[in-house]
Amino acid sequence: MELALAGNTSTLRKRLRTAALLFMLAWPAAAAVYAFLVLNYDPSLVSLADRLLPPSFAHPLGTDHLGRDVLTRLLLGARQTVGYGLLALIAAVAIGVPLGIWAGFKGGLADRILMRIADAFLSFPDTIVAIVLTGLLGAGLENLLLAILVVKWVSYARLARSTVLTERGKDYVLMARINGLRPGRIMSKHLFPHLIGHVLVLASLDVGKIILLISSLSYIGLGAQPPAPEWGAMLNEARPYFQAQPSLMVYPGLMIVFVVLLMGLLGDYWRDKFDVRKEVRP
Amino acid sequence: MSLLTVNRLSIAGPRQPIVHELSFDIRAGEWFAVVGQSGSGKSVAASAIGQLLPSNLKATGEIRYDGRNLLALSPADMRRIRGRQIAYIFQDYQGAFTPFHTIGRHFDDVQRLHLSLSKDERRQQAESSLVFVGLSEEVYDRYPSQLSGGQLQRAAIAIALLPKPDLLIADEPTTALDSVSSFRVLELLSRLQKESGCAILFITHDWRHVRKYADRIAVMKDGRIVEAGDAQEVLHRPRHPYTELLIQSSPSLSRFNRLSSSEVTS
Repeated sequence: MELALAGNTSTLRKRLRTAALLFMLAWPAAAAVYAFLVLNYDPSLVSLADRLLPPSFAHPLGTDHLGRDVLTRLLLGARQTVGYGLLALIAAVAIGVPLGIWAGFKGGLADRILMRIADAFLSFPDTIVAIVLTGLLGAGLENLLLAILVVKWVSYARLARSTVLTERGKDYVLMARINGLRPGRIMSKHLFPHLIGHVLVLASLDVGKIILLISSLSYIGLGAQPPAPEWGAMLNEARPYFQAQPSLMVYPGLMIVFVVLLMGLLGDYWRDKFDVRKEVRP
Repeated sequence: MSLLTVNRLSIAGPRQPIVHELSFDIRAGEWFAVVGQSGSGKSVAASAIGQLLPSNLKATGEIRYDGRNLLALSPADMRRIRGRQIAYIFQDYQGAFTPFHTIGRHFDDVQRLHLSLSKDERRQQAESSLVFVGLSEEVYDRYPSQLSGGQLQRAAIAIALLPKPDLLIADEPTTALDSVSSFRVLELLSRLQKESGCAILFITHDWRHVRKYADRIAVMKDGRIVEAGDAQEVLHRPRHPYTELLIQSSPSLSRFNRLSSSEVTS
């Protein structure tokens, strides 16, 4: 009886989650289609005659304090926030994973040096490093991305290294060596595939964090600079008009919440999918 | 004619020595068994032959094969010999296969490196060697997790023997198998040894495997060979008290059984 109940709630939860995922995917897709068909606004063109307009057919979400179309800016902001976030993430994975595999496989001095460097990076909170680096290099999205890269590669290197360490001792790695495979080939063909699942899960959970980091640093003026339509920066620009037009702050905020949630759900989904331990062997 | 000669091989870890001045030789085509408790250094000695020691262990002495000292070979030269002329199979049949590669891909790794064949020829050769060890051709496209332990160990043997090695080093290949599967694997090894003329260095702690198949035996204790010689000689007239102890502690070779087994053989 209990079992059946648990089964039902878990299927219900699964369905709800799928519905939520689909809804969240459909929503930006519809917006993108709409933007493609109807909206032809310059996201940074100032038009003081149209400032702070309420929603209308021409401006579905109204205009901001400089007369720019809010929906256009929100959608293009996705490119800034999500696009650059993904870019930073991919760069971090591309640097961290090979370094981690190499360190774990080789072991010895190289491994120790790399891991002490990694420890040093890990001992500072992400946000602090990002603020310090952008402070040193100058505010701007490029420097912010560099800071994120510097902070994030470490966790991928560690993840790759720890997985390789558990796999390295197994006989199939020895077997591959006996069969004469070169270290590079062993790493890429026999060890790297173990990591794909782990890396995808960590990466999808990280996207949310990176988006939050970009937005929050843009909000305090260290990331994207106006008039770039970045969500955090839009929040900041809308701040003085909060009482007159609260929706100006609500929309970019909602976008951030939605994307971060979506990525979190995606991460959960992937974690379930790649969790081998749960899998029942045929 | 001796195929491989181990001469005063010593292996030391960072703190203490593991193997002391080991000397033995393996003749072409024979079944040479090394028997000893776990921790006696037999596996370490076997990995030294293929330069497979972990980096914190250092081997000194000489392992002569084909006129060369295997311990002094460069990694590139070793790569040409290991897997091709000296093959290995291990105890952990599950770990010996990369979980996300099919059995066929494991064949491919060996074939592409040591033999130059077209894709179809490679598949054909692999399938016929699978059939040869008593597996079906379909195993070629299976993943390791879809096969049983005995099947995996036989597939490992098929892969190891593919390049027609002179010496197969079998490091406790039946320890993790049930008795029926291990019997089949042993029978298979003995058939292959007779048909291909490949010598087998068989490492085990189980006398039952030694009695029937081995031509010669070396008994190891604490990193030293305490007794070596012709299999029947060692089994029936052990000179060293440790050998006697080992034989007596083996269930099927206890004093009572020993009598009956000697009656059968004589």
